[in-house]
Amino acid sequence: MNIDILVSGGYTIIGVEGRVDTTNADEFEKAVVNVFESGINKIIIDCSELNYISSSGLRVFLIVQKKMIATKGVLKLCSLRSGIREIFDISGFSSIFSIFPDLESAKTE
Amino acid sequence: MDNLSDDRTLLIKNKIDELSKVPSFLEELIREWGLTDAILFNLNLAIEEALSNTILYGYNDSNDHFIELSIKIENRQITVIIEDDAVEFDPTTLNDPEIFQPAEKRTVGGLGVFLIKKLMDNVKYKRVDKKNILTLTKFF
Repeated sequence: MNIDILVSGGYTIIGVEGRVDTTNADEFEKAVVNVFESGINKIIIDCSELNYISSSGLRVFLIVQKKMIATKGVLKLCSLRSGIREIFDISGFSSIFSIFPDLESAKTE
Repeated sequence: MDNLSDDRTLLIKNKIDELSKVPSFLEELIREWGLTDAILFNLNLAIEEALSNTILYGYNDSNDHFIELSIKIENRQITVIIEDDAVEFDPTTLNDPEIFQPAEKRTVGGLGVFLIKKLMDNVKYKRVDKKNILTLTKFF
């Protein structure tokens, strides 16, 4: 897993690449929570390079969404691959996140 | 695919890092058997969820234990058998999480077994000679 962070168009964009699973979900959680705790309240998680996620990774998404709702922040996800989207659908996560087809629409809508 | 019945085994120690052996093991099989990435994803996920539950919650001692993962393809069916000597745990009896709740009300965790049940066609549990035997079946 690789994570990169970019600030663009008023958002902090967290790009996650590779696999988020039981072996590295803690690392993903730290990276995302660090961004949140630095006071940033407009976050996009760019999933275009995310090719695998298990429940330990889903857990991190839910934790961040709960924090963002509690602080009235904005969390958007974009560019989910079909396999990832399927897992979000099955888990009921598609209805608790704002999901955009690509980064541009996530920034502008 | 020349051989219509094929069987492979991987032994995994009860350490989380050991889970990183699973993707390459499965990838090789899936390529050899000519199956799709979607099947690979689903199998990998179901297997990871089962193994991580056993590794994280299944043992009360600090000894090394081995979990046996075997996978077999026959006709249009993949059968995964996970056998461990962990504490008795029947995932088929767990209640499903409430997936239609808003984020504020969702419980963090509890999705692993639910994903196994959703992604596999059959999930069967047996306790035999102090071992948990979980059999997952996927048709393709």
